[in-house]
Amino acid sequence: MLRDQFPIMQRRVNGHPLVYLDNAATTQKPQVVIDAMNDYYSKSNANVHRAVHTLAGEATEGYESCRNKLKQRYNAERVILTSGTTEAINLVAHAWGRANLKEGDVIVLTEMEHHSDIVPWQMLAQERGVELRYVPVTEHFTLDMDAFDYALDGAALVCVVHTSNVLGVRNPLEEIIAKSHDAGARVLIDAAQGVPHASVDFEAFGADFMAFSAHKMCGPTGIGALLVTQDVFDEMEPFMGGGDMIDTVTIEGSTYQSNEHKFEAGTPRIAEAIGWTAALEWMETFDLEAEHTRLIKIASWVADQLRDLGMDVYGRHGEHDAAVVSFLHPTINSEDMAHLLDARGFAVRTGHHCAQPLLTRLGISGTVRASFYVYNTREEAESFVDELRIIVEKFS
Amino acid sequence: MTYPEALQELIEEFQSVEDKRERLEMLFELADEVVELPQDQWSEETRVKGCQSEAHVRISINEGRIQFLSSADARMVQGLMGILTIALDGLTPAQAVLIPPSFAEEMGLLNTLTPSRSNGFRNMYDKVMAELRL
Repeated sequence: MLRDQFPIMQRRVNGHPLVYLDNAATTQKPQVVIDAMNDYYSKSNANVHRAVHTLAGEATEGYESCRNKLKQRYNAERVILTSGTTEAINLVAHAWGRANLKEGDVIVLTEMEHHSDIVPWQMLAQERGVELRYVPVTEHFTLDMDAFDYALDGAALVCVVHTSNVLGVRNPLEEIIAKSHDAGARVLIDAAQGVPHASVDFEAFGADFMAFSAHKMCGPTGIGALLVTQDVFDEMEPFMGGGDMIDTVTIEGSTYQSNEHKFEAGTPRIAEAIGWTAALEWMETFDLEAEHTRLIKIASWVADQLRDLGMDVYGRHGEHDAAVVSFLHPTINSEDMAHLLDARGFAVRTGHHCAQPLLTRLGISGTVRASFYVYNTREEAESFVDELRIIVEKFS
Repeated sequence: MTYPEALQELIEEFQSVEDKRERLEMLFELADEVVELPQDQWSEETRVKGCQSEAHVRISINEGRIQFLSSADARMVQGLMGILTIALDGLTPAQAVLIPPSFAEEMGLLNTLTPSRSNGFRNMYDKVMAELRL
């Protein structure tokens, strides 16, 4: 069974079996990922790319196999390995934004974005005098596409979240990408919450940049990727200087590598890349689409049960949305709710989920969020609802 | 570590309960112990920063003795305020600043008490102690 491959699922928390429902924050790791990282440090640890000795060769092969795996799985011409989604978006702001955007240019964002897809653009806007336009979120928890059409006028870049980490809503990305390109804008997709649930053919998808993180798909923390088309790759200038990214260095100046290494200065995350490769290979051992269908059914059922318990549920649970249930009880404080759940072994998230503009739009300061992933079971969902029923009966 | 007698009794009471949920329930009951800081007196000066929920505290000194006024929208935070109320009320500032923040951990209420953890309690404790030292 898939769940049995996760050693942490044996854990007990406060005397109760762990029910881990904070997967939108980070996912747990199967044994193969833990083993791959241990093996690397036990047997092959060395720096990559330069040395000719055997260990360096193994480390290089391990690191580059991650890139190759990502290129193959997501059908992307260029894959830059980063520390995660946040660094990937910051890389676009620095390496593409500073080379291609000037005062008065327009970046279109949405109110649904994670802070990591807002703050880098605010910093760039402040530095370069770039205009930021935010597409509002409707009362149905979707993007206002009429407002999007309006905002697109004169845009140079559109940055949009694939799937909201708060609402679970998957955005109409195909429409957004097509319209943005028609308007002459580049498109960046923050796919941190999207890619773990559905594989993407990046070339067919048509976006110019796509960012995501390993740790939200059973890989290690500290590594992620920026997928880039060749056209856009050629428009990017390196921003972090150092080892590994250069071709030659003289006192007079330096020339840079022509491949992705140009954007990966310094010793990279070798063990993490090897761990991510193991996670990606592991994900090929089951049908992700079928798993997603199972999880969205669970999330949808949980959402209905919570409404029956008098909770306000924020979000949508259609077949392409994520298995995320954000909710609030009218009288029980969300932090109190999370502490009461933790006392019985349930791990959920509370707070603003790094999406304060979205919560401001919804008129709330935070939610309780339960997010499901491939090792979660229907029985766990049922025990979660049972526990919430007890909490509501006792504390409301 | 020596705590004021009322606080020491509370610590022992919490320690005698094994189940974390029961300890939380005891804490929720202590929320009623606060001397409430009315909402119309909330301000940036009374706000406990870094708290996920609204939490406000004010110290007033009457004839050299502390009166601790507080209010929070999370029952758990208000429960911790209730404990501080029991611990601080009636002490002199010089006595109160000797109380270390470790009691919440000893009571089995918080897993960690690092300054970076934004559970609000540490921020609240630090704010109260800073005001008492003024």
